[in-house]
Amino acid sequence: MKMVIATALYPPDVAAPAPYIKELAKRLGEKHEIVVVTYGHLPEKIPGISFESVDKRNPLIIRLLQFTFKLLSKVRNADVFYVENGASVELPAIIVSLLTLKKYVFHIGDKNAHALAKENILFSILQTLASWRAKKVFHDVPMHRPEFFPFEEYPEEKFREFEASWKKHLHALANTFL
Amino acid sequence: MKDDGKKTWEMYCEKELARVEPILHGLGFKLDSEQPHISGERYLMQAITTTSGRKLILLGTHMHDKKRVVIKASSDKDGVRELEHDRNARKTLEHIGFAYQTFFSPQEILFTKQGEFTISVQEFIDQQPFLERSDKEQFHLALKAFKAQESAHATTYKHRRFIQKTLGEKRAKDYFESFDFFKKGVLKEFPDKKSILNDTDKFLKDQEEIIEQYCGFMTHTDFVPHNFRILEDTIHLLDHSSIRFGNKYEGWARFINFMALYNPQLASWLVQYVKDNRTPEESFSLKAMRVYRLAEIMYYYTTTLPKTSGNLHELNMDRIELWSQVLAAVLADRAIPETTLETYKTKRDALRSKDEKKRQQGLH
Repeated sequence: MKMVIATALYPPDVAAPAPYIKELAKRLGEKHEIVVVTYGHLPEKIPGISFESVDKRNPLIIRLLQFTFKLLSKVRNADVFYVENGASVELPAIIVSLLTLKKYVFHIGDKNAHALAKENILFSILQTLASWRAKKVFHDVPMHRPEFFPFEEYPEEKFREFEASWKKHLHALANTFL
Repeated sequence: MKDDGKKTWEMYCEKELARVEPILHGLGFKLDSEQPHISGERYLMQAITTTSGRKLILLGTHMHDKKRVVIKASSDKDGVRELEHDRNARKTLEHIGFAYQTFFSPQEILFTKQGEFTISVQEFIDQQPFLERSDKEQFHLALKAFKAQESAHATTYKHRRFIQKTLGEKRAKDYFESFDFFKKGVLKEFPDKKSILNDTDKFLKDQEEIIEQYCGFMTHTDFVPHNFRILEDTIHLLDHSSIRFGNKYEGWARFINFMALYNPQLASWLVQYVKDNRTPEESFSLKAMRVYRLAEIMYYYTTTLPKTSGNLHELNMDRIELWSQVLAAVLADRAIPETTLETYKTKRDALRSKDEKKRQQGLH
């Protein structure tokens, strides 16, 4: 399957959901053709995954337009369209969805953006519209990759839990793609 | 005379102290009879890449409540600019909108201009010296502080406009320009370092994209134990003028290079942590910043040579050799031989002046 993941944050950004999106792209990329459309200057590469990035250092209007055009060009030929919440992605996603008549899976994994949408009326409207255009709204967030320290034993149990949470997450996600 | 720098500094301190002491008394502060932070090798310390001028760093007591305080005072144009920059940086940190974590600093008691003097008074945080804590505690404290710094990532047009006006920013090309400057300065005095500096240069240029990729993060460029205090398990930053936006590993690099000498176990744990928990590119970025900062320290000690004589001159020559060997080891991804470090430390302890030994007590 050809899949497009649209996200505002992606490593080297450190804040959530950036590490989640990278892990997701890596895991989905084992079986599918993945394109990540993101904001960033030099996104961290993953072998076999394509990236389309829009430099955040451009003024807001310019970067929103660039993101919308890049997303549109990739979504046209995609089988699955996955959108991570956040105003700067929701607006382009709604436009692209209306233009291509393709609905997307809307993942609300960015808690900060979600909290902002509760406080700010404009962001709230955007998130409501984004949810309305989605074929499925998805909230599940798998575990963060466990950290381990050089002076401690490898935390095998934690890594097992991490793998299990991702297995469960990908299984649930696969159902939304159908 | 090579000792002119020290004599000039001593005369400066004597003159400035005589002028500032009555002002401080009028403001309600009493100075300690001993002032370790203006003695020893303090006169040589001049930051290379950040604003730096002459200033007094004094210890005293707030007469009103008997609390211990740290006083920074300067009437020197660059010193005043440094104090103002330090304060602006501190205020910026309090209002930075795109950081996910909070930064801590000692409480500011007073910031004032009195005649020619700019005076900054902050609470004194008494603490168990960092290096006297367990290695694990040092590791977790340092990691927590690095993560707090990394949480401020200036990515958008608005962020960059904000930081350019306040803390400043360094990108890959700026690091290369600074490195060229260090390299030229060292090679002028030590042509035999050509090979190692050329290798460093090549390594840095090969990592250009990776260095740039991890730019835009807040970093404390002089993150070493004497520039922070620990209060309730949280690091409080002292020197805000060294904070800027740059490669995320610039502060890590300064700290790890310092620890390569003072606590090699901690240095090796931090390098291993990055290898185990972050991307391979990040390990390259850390290595690039380490070699860059090692070239900087070699340059720094090269600039001190004309200002020193006798034991201190000999010690600084040894320091250049030591850091050059550390640079070679980091470039080759090998450990620094324990004997190299021990030989250096023995010689350093024999060559250090009494004043400097006193200044060093409890400093780290």
